[in-house]
Amino acid sequence: MDGLAVHTRTPDEGFLRDLDSLFTDAAAGQGDAAMLQRVLDASMRAVAGTRGFLALVDRETGDMEVGPISGPDWTDEKRLLRLSLAHEAKRGITGNVAVTGEPHLTGDAPSDPLYIPYFADVRSEIAVPIMGTSGHSWGVINIESERADAFNAGDLARLRVLAHAAATALRVQGFRNRESALVEIGNDLTTTFNTEDLMHRVVSVAADVLRFEDCSVFLIDEITQRLVLRASQGALAAEVGQADYEVGEGLTGWVAQTGEALRVCEPYRDARWRGRHTEFPDHEIAALLAVPIVSRGGILGVIRVLRRKGRRAWVSNDFSEAEQRVLSTIASQVGAAVENARSHQRLMQSERMAAWGELSARSAHMIGNRTFALKGDLNEGAYLVEQMTPGPLREEIAGLFRSMTRGVARLEEILREFRDFVMATQLTRGQVDVRELLLETLDESWPKRSAVTLTTDIAEGLPAIDCDAPKLKRAISELLENAVSFQPTGGRVTVAARRVPRDETQEHRLPPGRDYVQIEVADSGPGVPAEAKERIFQPFYTSRAKGMGLGLSIVKGIVESHEGLIREAGTSGAGARFQLFLPATDR
Amino acid sequence: MARVLLVDDEDEVRAALKRRLDREGYEVNTAASAEEARRALHGSAAYDIVVTDMSMEDSDSGLRVLEQALTCDIFTEVIVLTAYGNVANAVESMRRGAFDYLEKNVPGVDAYEILTIKMAQAMERRRTAVNTVRRLEQQVRTLSHAGQPPNG
Repeated sequence: MDGLAVHTRTPDEGFLRDLDSLFTDAAAGQGDAAMLQRVLDASMRAVAGTRGFLALVDRETGDMEVGPISGPDWTDEKRLLRLSLAHEAKRGITGNVAVTGEPHLTGDAPSDPLYIPYFADVRSEIAVPIMGTSGHSWGVINIESERADAFNAGDLARLRVLAHAAATALRVQGFRNRESALVEIGNDLTTTFNTEDLMHRVVSVAADVLRFEDCSVFLIDEITQRLVLRASQGALAAEVGQADYEVGEGLTGWVAQTGEALRVCEPYRDARWRGRHTEFPDHEIAALLAVPIVSRGGILGVIRVLRRKGRRAWVSNDFSEAEQRVLSTIASQVGAAVENARSHQRLMQSERMAAWGELSARSAHMIGNRTFALKGDLNEGAYLVEQMTPGPLREEIAGLFRSMTRGVARLEEILREFRDFVMATQLTRGQVDVRELLLETLDESWPKRSAVTLTTDIAEGLPAIDCDAPKLKRAISELLENAVSFQPTGGRVTVAARRVPRDETQEHRLPPGRDYVQIEVADSGPGVPAEAKERIFQPFYTSRAKGMGLGLSIVKGIVESHEGLIREAGTSGAGARFQLFLPATDR
Repeated sequence: MARVLLVDDEDEVRAALKRRLDREGYEVNTAASAEEARRALHGSAAYDIVVTDMSMEDSDSGLRVLEQALTCDIFTEVIVLTAYGNVANAVESMRRGAFDYLEKNVPGVDAYEILTIKMAQAMERRRTAVNTVRRLEQQVRTLSHAGQPPNG
């Protein structure tokens, strides 16, 4: 027994020392080019080769690339040679080892059917695969000799151990890359409030470091509730902000709807597949991995990665569970960051809006006061002009004063519109009888002399509404004024009001669960063209010379701040028909 | 001559209003804040009319001027000037005894003309009120004399 334990010095001592240092450093996370060079150098020493190289599989293209080299006669041309693994006849010994995962040993290379001569002096060749986690090779160590029968089974065994060292180094390096990528993303996420930048960082880190070739982030838009592409590393990059899915549509939409991760091969065979926005054609997609981005508030979006089929049919295209875990980790970080960014944005937005409202109100007040003073001065000026001796000079000056007075009146109109717009959403509410309010409004705003005939059809016993009476009056008088001004030569205006019971809300596309009061102002004017029906409510839209074009946007602002709805339901050419729906007070 | 106190924190507004009211024949004093108005009201004989801006140091400064004016003399008539859209405060000033309120920036409306009309109406109401009280006082005096026993 003791005899066996006694170590004698063997020729393998150097090999063991190499192994010791390689595995130590590989475990410590060294997996860069220098590390692979050391593996190759140790391989050369271990089998006393003449020349050698270490080639790695490019997962994207499915080709092999020469990495570290050793020995004489290398030229740039030979170094840069890429082995296409797709063609069996052209892949040679190295390619074959990569594809089969089986080592290869020959003592008479020129007679070997797989051998492709690159160097004239090669007689023996030995090649072992560097095996990856999923049973597919990551690369090959290839050593040649100018002697025939230079390598034996012992050499093969030694190279296999060294190949393990390389695989370990690559794997640990992979973990470290992932870890540092996650840390990197994590750091970015906590320091940036700009969601767009963040998404770009995520896809670029995911693609570069984690080797997810085509990575896209879709976020659910807070307003439209559609999944919108926010960042992409692949060909979709040009469609950021435009490409979108309904939640529930396609595989990406399915993930957003269910909140479950999805890992499928040949996704285009899936019944849910829509393939509306992909980085490359359907049939080239080998696998899809999509995980939900979730925050406290629910599902925010989806991170999706695709893998291309291409030429490397022999390489596994599936996404691994480890890859799914990594992507899920990124997704949860992104979720927290998006949530963070959004709440920051909301805070900023509401602060800015509050400041903007305050600024507007103050400016309007100050401009109003100055205008009032100006008006007084103009009056006094005009009064003084009247005291002047009659003549052309007095007439000219009086004309100027009239013009200035008109200018001030115009200023006041603009100011009024501006204030109405700013204050449309600041309500002072109370219980209001709609019928009474409408009759008062007509009494106050309907022109005393008008070629337009007014008809009313206001139901009795309408439910009360909780509203800001002066603002609602303002809204309705704006609609009346509009209706009249579009019929300068006469016509008809009908003001109607009725209750919309809660079982009719669907018919009118209203939020369900409550009664509404419908107020309608219809006229027999030119009406609103179909394509302008939405646009007329936008600020600064005007087809009249008067005012700033805020009129209907003020009306919309007032109605919507009452949780109500306004639409134009007329037919172009047959008169405009404005319908207001205001929630009734529950009784 | 009717005495008027004009309260507004904007120099230009005070100047423009004073010029017009001078022309209308009023004796006009001015104050640039609710506090100045308070001192003016307490430091001299009663004013017939106080014209005050609503929004000065704060959005209801005018209500304080109104209160001070009525404390000094219940017959003083107060007209409140408001910016457009401040109807709530204007209504409140009426509830507390203002004669009327006037929006400064109604497009196409000559607020100065309206103001002078309202001031004339205010003077009329003040005269009527004072006369009514004088007559009442007179009547009370007469009644109390009449109520005395002839030999008392």
